[in-house]
Amino acid sequence: MNKWQSTAVIILVLIGLVAGAKFFLAPKKTDINVQMARAKGNPQARVNITEFIDFQCPACAYGVNYLKTFFDKHPNDIYLQVRYFPLTNMHRHAMISALYSECAARQGKFWALDDLMIPQQSQWAQLLSPDPVFQAMATQVGMNTSELNSCLASDDARKAINDEKALGQSLGVGSTPTYFINKKMVVGTKSLQDELKIYFPDAK
Amino acid sequence: MLSILRILIGSIFLVSSLGKLFSPYQNFLYVIQAYQILPSWAESLTAQIFPWVEFFTGAFVCLGLWTPWALRGALLLFGIFLTAVGQALLRGLPLESCGCFGEWIHLKPQAVFLMDSASLLLSAILLYNISRARKFSLDSYFDHGVR
Repeated sequence: MNKWQSTAVIILVLIGLVAGAKFFLAPKKTDINVQMARAKGNPQARVNITEFIDFQCPACAYGVNYLKTFFDKHPNDIYLQVRYFPLTNMHRHAMISALYSECAARQGKFWALDDLMIPQQSQWAQLLSPDPVFQAMATQVGMNTSELNSCLASDDARKAINDEKALGQSLGVGSTPTYFINKKMVVGTKSLQDELKIYFPDAK
Repeated sequence: MLSILRILIGSIFLVSSLGKLFSPYQNFLYVIQAYQILPSWAESLTAQIFPWVEFFTGAFVCLGLWTPWALRGALLLFGIFLTAVGQALLRGLPLESCGCFGEWIHLKPQAVFLMDSASLLLSAILLYNISRARKFSLDSYFDHGVR
């Protein structure tokens, strides 16, 4: 076998190895359990979005605001579910912000807290500890602080968040925001906008 | 010594490319979009093809196969990385991580710029000393072992 033939064989072997590994490592196709998510909108909507979010991620904040405009314009056409994906190796307050959100969800105050947490992200992200700010937000939305603090101290909420992150990783999620729009994965707000234009051609 | 360096340079590309190849291409597409350097129509295609270019460059450099061409490819890729990261730093784009190694390793763009600069220099040294860089390579096997 001459050098060119050997090169062709090596290329084919390498392609086979990578393709084989990709096949075994491919994200599993699984339905995201609706009952576990923080959801709003019309469950029968034609556009079903599951978002994996890190509350300290600036792009996620942009995405949240962008999707809000869609809800205002198309309240019956979108169903949004939020899942946690704290990037703890990049954002030091990723886990604590997720914990407050999960504890708020357990008191039915997830979206109310989200409405305060996201717009003020750039401020609390700079703090050494955002706890006082989050506690104030929790009081503002009418949460029971005793229940909140018990929730924060327990392992249950943290486990729930880590379980959702593991689910995201099994689906191939690696960055935030990652969206599954009618089960199609898109990452980032630019791709979100491009994908939503398919369903809403008048969207900007 | 230069052969070890050659394998190290090749390994950088292999690790970088495999991190992207074993992850949905949408993750690398997100990275490309953050650099704001390509037109929209080119971004998706680049996200799917580029990791394979990196992979074969790394493999050929590591194996020492068509080494001069593989090293020229490496130089070109490092030049592309430096251009992409450099323009992002100059424009002050909000990059939290370079995205160079997929989801496996997160490096700040500044650190990557330094690393790629050093790698570019090392690749140039290897290309300049190609006969020594080709020791313990498939090229030397084909050049000397097969007639």
